[in-house]
Amino acid sequence: MTLSATLDDLPAAASPLARLGVAVRRNPTITFGVLLLSALVLMTIAAPLFAADPFRQAPINRLRPPSERFWFGTDQFGRDVFSRTVYGARVSLIVGFAVAALASLIGLAIGLVCGYFRRVDGIVMRAMDGIMAIPSILLAIALITLTRPGLGIVIVAILIPEVPRVVRVVRSVVLSVRAQPYVESAIAGGTRNTKLLVRHILPNTLAPLIVQATYVCASAMLIEAGLSFLGAGVPPEIPSWGNIIAQGRTFFQIAPWSILIPGAFLAATVLAVNMLGDGLRDRLDPRLARRL
Amino acid sequence: MNLLQVRDLETHFFTADGVVRAVDGISFDLAAGETLGIVGESGCGKSVTALSILRLIAPETGRIVGGSIAFNGRELTTLSTAAMRELRGNKIAMIFQEPMTSLNPVLTIGTQIAESVVRHLGLSWPAARDRAHEMLELVRIADARRRLAEYPHQLSGGMRQRVMIAIALCCNPQVLIADEPTTALDVTIQAQILDLMLELKEKLGTAIILITHDLGVVAETCERVIVMYAGRMAEQAPVAELFARPLHPYTRGLLRALPRADDEVASAGTRPMLAEIPGIVPALTRPIAGCAFAPRCDYVVERCRATAPALLQADAAHLVACWEAQRVAETAA
Repeated sequence: MTLSATLDDLPAAASPLARLGVAVRRNPTITFGVLLLSALVLMTIAAPLFAADPFRQAPINRLRPPSERFWFGTDQFGRDVFSRTVYGARVSLIVGFAVAALASLIGLAIGLVCGYFRRVDGIVMRAMDGIMAIPSILLAIALITLTRPGLGIVIVAILIPEVPRVVRVVRSVVLSVRAQPYVESAIAGGTRNTKLLVRHILPNTLAPLIVQATYVCASAMLIEAGLSFLGAGVPPEIPSWGNIIAQGRTFFQIAPWSILIPGAFLAATVLAVNMLGDGLRDRLDPRLARRL
Repeated sequence: MNLLQVRDLETHFFTADGVVRAVDGISFDLAAGETLGIVGESGCGKSVTALSILRLIAPETGRIVGGSIAFNGRELTTLSTAAMRELRGNKIAMIFQEPMTSLNPVLTIGTQIAESVVRHLGLSWPAARDRAHEMLELVRIADARRRLAEYPHQLSGGMRQRVMIAIALCCNPQVLIADEPTTALDVTIQAQILDLMLELKEKLGTAIILITHDLGVVAETCERVIVMYAGRMAEQAPVAELFARPLHPYTRGLLRALPRADDEVASAGTRPMLAEIPGIVPALTRPIAGCAFAPRCDYVVERCRATAPALLQADAAHLVACWEAQRVAETAA
């Protein structure tokens, strides 16, 4: 075989499947995070197909240990911990993804403006520092006493203190990109402020923003569980990991499964999100100069 | 009428250490289609002069405090920001020193060229991409169609500078300001880029202001040269005249400090020491009484330290800011 033929064959030989294999081997953390998260998402979507009704009480079966019938045992009302855990993932995932998405959008907008228009920066960033000083848990308790408990309020309460964290990341990227010769070059080419922001600066912020979003997502899930545990989260009848743990607390010594299992799910989910974030950070870091 | 007329331009920076007089009264003209070189050592105000013309001095740090810049008879120093933005990249374009960082890493080459075309010529995006393709061929990038979809990191330094030239010239500007366009490139690529710029100048009729510290580049490319020192003009002359009959001691010093290939032949194997200009550039934070070059000058007399020399017309197109120009000319002869 001649050399040129070998070279020609190379790109063709890399089938999509083979390329996926290479990507998986190169990014084990991303792969692990994505697989675990996808499994969780699939599980919550397909929950009605395989899990029993999480609300059905059966006092006769209360506090049963894990068995063939009740995989993760039952709680003090005889509810199936397995189906409650499976449905509970919905709350965690919705809160995590919603907070991450909203915080990214709002944080991106504020961060771009702050980093680019120096006059706005001083005022807005001090306000952001102020917001960052408010503990999510206290804010959530305050908001819920003012309104009715619900998923929306939980999301808002967690979202508010998370936004400044995103703003800080975006702003710092904008500040460094602003000083780049290509921005000066674009200004010298007569580009308008808005165009400059949207076309030249914004795309540079996306990589760190995505990474930050995963951390926000993980921390939102933890805070949500904490709020539910304290009774300041979603209403107690809705299965959420925090609620299940809170309700199982009193029976920990005789029915530890109702705490340990949702706790393990929570830990695994947060781990998956964090691994995804770490993997993406390594992958997207421009200093490593590798292509995605 | 001159295309660009700069009169007594003064650009100052306001720092914690005081006011830096980066450009301290520069005047020059640029005719349509002309190539003007501005030379001088680092920090002499070359780049600031260029940035001042485009009004790109960051307002937080510096300002044009005096003088006038007229482009086609239109005063630029008082022009509105919006009107200035219309000129930038359209009538007056600029190429920066660093081809490695002057292109946005997240946008394709095609987008970056087409953007300016859409902005200034009002073309649609597909038409602008065709124009971008045309420009890439004009700056002789092979396989232009494919390059349009590529990102800056896929191109070499020389190719990036070609792309920068394509961006600068895509709207047919009347003036192209090139701020050390070849400094970051290796020598063979330098020659290619300079040839390309000159060739395009002939083709498109663009006037070029070439800012450099390399007298060799000036000799090869420019028609007229301005030598700057400490924010002021030291000498201005047609290029052949400047090299043949430098009248400012600083220009003479610069020319003497140039390594010459034929020196080695003359001295049979032993390389002669390069001449240097003793001393350093004065701090620009304090106003300089007298001639800025006086502390380093071989020809210095009492008058140099007391009063700054006026621009002396030595010849029809030869201006020099030196009291002792006559004596310099005599000793050189």
